Amino acid sequence: MSTLRMRLRAAGAAAAIGLKDKLAYRINFGGTMLTYALFVFVFSRIWASSLGDSSIAGYNYSMMVWYFIVAEIPLFALGRFFWTLSRDMKSGQVAYQLSRPYDFVAYQFWERIGSALPDLLILMLEGLLIGLLLTGGFPPALAAVGPPDIAAASTGLAGTAAAATGVAAWLRLLFVPLSLLLSGIVNFYLQFALSMTAFWLEENEAFFWIFQKIALVVGTLLPIEFLPEAAQRIVVWTPFPYIAYAPARIMTAFELSGALRLIAGQLLWAVIGLALARLVFRAGSRKIAVNGG
Amino acid sequence: MITEKKKQTTLRRNSLGSYLRFMAMAFRINVKSVLEYRVNFMLQFFGMMLNNAAFAAFWAVLIERTGGVGGYGFADIMFVWGFVSSGFGLAHIVFGNIRGLSRIAIEGGLDVYLLQPKDPWLNLLASRTIVSAWGDFVYGFIIMLLLPGIGIERWLIFLSLLVPSALLFSAIFSAAESLCFFMGNSSSISSAISEFLLTFSLYPEGVHAGWYKWILYSLIPSAYIAFVPLHVFQSLSWPLVPLLWGIAIVYILLARLLFRQGLRRYESGNRMDARI
Repeated sequence: MSTLRMRLRAAGAAAAIGLKDKLAYRINFGGTMLTYALFVFVFSRIWASSLGDSSIAGYNYSMMVWYFIVAEIPLFALGRFFWTLSRDMKSGQVAYQLSRPYDFVAYQFWERIGSALPDLLILMLEGLLIGLLLTGGFPPALAAVGPPDIAAASTGLAGTAAAATGVAAWLRLLFVPLSLLLSGIVNFYLQFALSMTAFWLEENEAFFWIFQKIALVVGTLLPIEFLPEAAQRIVVWTPFPYIAYAPARIMTAFELSGALRLIAGQLLWAVIGLALARLVFRAGSRKIAVNGG
Repeated sequence: MITEKKKQTTLRRNSLGSYLRFMAMAFRINVKSVLEYRVNFMLQFFGMMLNNAAFAAFWAVLIERTGGVGGYGFADIMFVWGFVSSGFGLAHIVFGNIRGLSRIAIEGGLDVYLLQPKDPWLNLLASRTIVSAWGDFVYGFIIMLLLPGIGIERWLIFLSLLVPSALLFSAIFSAAESLCFFMGNSSSISSAISEFLLTFSLYPEGVHAGWYKWILYSLIPSAYIAFVPLHVFQSLSWPLVPLLWGIAIVYILLARLLFRQGLRRYESGNRMDARI
């Protein structure tokens, strides 16, 4: 069997383990869904109260609600890899895994992503429902999203054009899950690198807290266009806009070149994150000492 | 004669003074155990302050753009966040088990508290402290120091309302956790109630619509934890201070009553535990 096929099979098996583990404890996710809904609701009230019919930095009420709905998904579904990774490191579980015949970083990646997929899917559907209830429709750039109007399409050129617009809107909407997935990948590798500092430091949560809070302010609670200009110029060079801002911006103000630029940025940070994760892991794993047991 | 003597001894043992001594002792032991792990303590302490500071940055940016949210300016928001953080922190410092009550009951861990002479509800709640809560507690004081124009009277109002706020948090968290006696594993609903209370308390009253605002004055009393204290703080309405104390005492007594009702349904877990 070729190496590539073996690697793919190992990746599939790791993702299936993560997925099965998640589905076995699916009731636990009810609390997360409720908290997510609560946050979206409270922030929708904040935007209703502070924006009314006006807009800030090009965002009106409906756009801000959709922005928040999408920006919160990486936090709730893809933002907690650090804790389980760090726990495995501190409990010594990592020592058992290192001796197994697979690539440790790749295995961890597929297992965690497999485990996060149901959360991602559920929160996307929940967010879609809440967004439609709160705003009554999609944001302007995706407003044509809806069931394809076959009857209209058969009535002539105008109908065909309308149907084509609908299809194009659906295709644009697909950028959102793609960007969310890339956000999960960036999030995973950066959190992996942070959790691997446990090779050197027993208490490494502080790094994650700082990372999490910067991610919260830069792009999760507010679009980066809200930040002062000097701060905007700095943050575009960091990975933070590619965690929550990218998918949320694509959802609220879709524009093809902008969306492609954001996706390219996410891919770049995924590669940088992977390199960083491998580097920290390689350096750290030399320090491991297994004393029988 | 012997029974009468026993009664008197029990009364003396369970007087208010003895409970205050008991709470002080539990607090001292909890602090000692926390300080055994100094690095962890400092990390959680500053981590929680960092968490609150991140939200302060959010409000600063938003209010800079909008001028105000729900009738609150930046100073109002900061007071609410500081005050609620300190109340929430105080509740978790003194009653560290308020959010672990249902887990302890479900695992059969209540037996050890039932066998001791003190009130099992108070004993259970006070037998632990939450490390990160110290960061929350101190955050309010830092905010008060940073807010401009805070005189001695406003400091006194802040301090006098902290205990009712902590009591209200404790009452609702404890009541939510006590639902496990009636519903079995109620962790989802308990954590949702706790999350609702905290979230609604931290955001301006003006953003909430009238149709559900009554809930914030009854089942999820964010009004008495944040909105009314802000009003008292702004207008120096001292008559409302004893009223808030009264409301907090009613809530905490109701929470204890709910626990005691639930305790009747508790079955021993036959677990071997020891508390020294």
